[in-house]
Amino acid sequence: MLPENVLLQYEVEQFLYAEAALLDARKYREWLGLLADDIHYWMPIRRTVTLGDIDREFTKLGDMAYFDDDRGILEVRVRKLEAGSAWSEDPPSRSRHFVSNVRILEVAGDEITVEACFHLFRSRLESDIDNWIGRRVDVLRRTEAGFRLAKRHLFLDQTVIQSTNMSTIF
Amino acid sequence: MADGAQGEQAWSRGELLSLYDPATGVLDRRVLSDEALYQLELERIFARGWNFMCHDSQIPEPGDYFISYIGEDQVIVVRDEAGDVNVLLNTCRHRGNALCRAEQGRAKSFVCSYHGWNYALDGRLIGVPGLKAFYRNDIDRARLGLARARAESYLGFWYATLAPDAPSLHDYLGDVGRTGLGMICAYGDVEVVDGIQKNIISCNWKIAVDNLFDWYHVPYSHASANTSGFIDIASIQHPNEQMVMLGEYGHAIGGPGIPRDKQDQIDAMSDPERDEASRTAPPNSARIRPRAAKALMGAVGVRSVGHPNIFPNLWITMSGLQICLRLPRGPSKTELWWFTFVPKAAPPALRRGMIAQANHIFGPAGILEQDDGENWSQSTRSARGVSSRGLGQYLGMGLGHDQAVAGEDGEHYIESPVSEHGQRWLYRAWTEWMAASDWADLKANHTPPPTGTV
Repeated sequence: MLPENVLLQYEVEQFLYAEAALLDARKYREWLGLLADDIHYWMPIRRTVTLGDIDREFTKLGDMAYFDDDRGILEVRVRKLEAGSAWSEDPPSRSRHFVSNVRILEVAGDEITVEACFHLFRSRLESDIDNWIGRRVDVLRRTEAGFRLAKRHLFLDQTVIQSTNMSTIF
Repeated sequence: MADGAQGEQAWSRGELLSLYDPATGVLDRRVLSDEALYQLELERIFARGWNFMCHDSQIPEPGDYFISYIGEDQVIVVRDEAGDVNVLLNTCRHRGNALCRAEQGRAKSFVCSYHGWNYALDGRLIGVPGLKAFYRNDIDRARLGLARARAESYLGFWYATLAPDAPSLHDYLGDVGRTGLGMICAYGDVEVVDGIQKNIISCNWKIAVDNLFDWYHVPYSHASANTSGFIDIASIQHPNEQMVMLGEYGHAIGGPGIPRDKQDQIDAMSDPERDEASRTAPPNSARIRPRAAKALMGAVGVRSVGHPNIFPNLWITMSGLQICLRLPRGPSKTELWWFTFVPKAAPPALRRGMIAQANHIFGPAGILEQDDGENWSQSTRSARGVSSRGLGQYLGMGLGHDQAVAGEDGEHYIESPVSEHGQRWLYRAWTEWMAASDWADLKANHTPPPTGTV
């Protein structure tokens, strides 16, 4: 029924916006609280290939990636950001996470698969600027405490990463 | 006679040699920022030296190609129908257009998207649209094949050079270069894991290279990787058990070394005993290499768990798991390419573990690597200021305090605490490469690996 879909769309978007706000506010520990224990956070490598080879545009699960993290590694990343000696983020960068084109692809039991476009802007030190734009597929799991992020697969619209590093959480 | 005429300032031989002072370990910071020096590097280091292209396993079948670089010259590395590997400049002989736009793939031939000139996999010009009607058959196709680089391989690692007078790859690598590539194959034949991580850092390529010999920075630059629980730096650094190997033409290996008495114990063990000892070793211990590693790495080299650099720009990580190529993109810009290798015979669980380690430690999002780029870009930036570039880079750690000795197979090495011997060897070689007008000059006028006080 339409009103239910509208409500779900609203709930999902509000969750994604709140999550983005936590990251931009550098509240990384609170952000960790939104993750499911079995989260898979993955950004494959993208390549310039011919149309005939397009199934090899992205690396596959199990091959090399920019991120291929479980919860344990994401917790390491957050502890690193909090360490006071993570020089690539201290002084901290300024980031803004934009999420748009949010579409619910599937609802299966308590899991909702959501596709969205993202634009992560980072400004660093005096004049370093990074723009990471792409598509992502998230799985949100409904729990008694609210949605938990169970999957984030990031498909970046770049091949050679035009950045010194990717020390920011997407 | 003045050299480096492309830039604003031409550099004489004497000036080039004076950019690094071996007596004090001081490096002129202009080597990190000067445009004329950079242009001269492209000619005298990258076009002259042997450059890593890719691994055999990336181009297994005829027609398989991979795009790589010799300095800023883009090349197609392609296996032809006869199984030979060709390294061809990716530029049509007609108007210069790039033939390959994809970074990898499989081709029957290379057709230019501009006017349709068609080249065979070995670079021969086999098709010219309008040959009769427009050219009236008046074109010498035999002279208009793709320009070729010399290609040779060692242990499946393909290299290329644009210098016809370069020594063979085997001789160029020397014992230290061969030890480095042998380190990757120490646990058996390897293949590349699909996916090359690539990113751009605003730094001079040499500061990325000299950092790989730098075991001094590890506890400071990477402190947060330690406190976050990702890695126990104390267990991998071994600051008082370091070994630096110095090879001809600027190759070197720097980092932890297995002391001779420990290696003697390892040498007495069978392969199953080594596997068992590796399984029960503390976390972060290097896996003990099998007996066969000694033939690949040499009697001294097999004791190294450090970082080889094959001059000019190929870093092999201490585990032999990854290599990082530092491609020059201007005096203040470097492109990093990470290749990851696993033994072909690795069981699935070991393979997964190795790939996970590679994904988490290095590359632009790597928990260790994240913090390096900004050190390098800020150091490069300060080499541009009129006053700050006048200050030298000080690479004097351990200078005059250690002994270089020659091993039984002629390898030259130094055992000492953490030092800057590797960096000094790199920059001394760099000045000699830059000052030499050709290979004959470089062969006659370079410093051989030393023995005695260094």
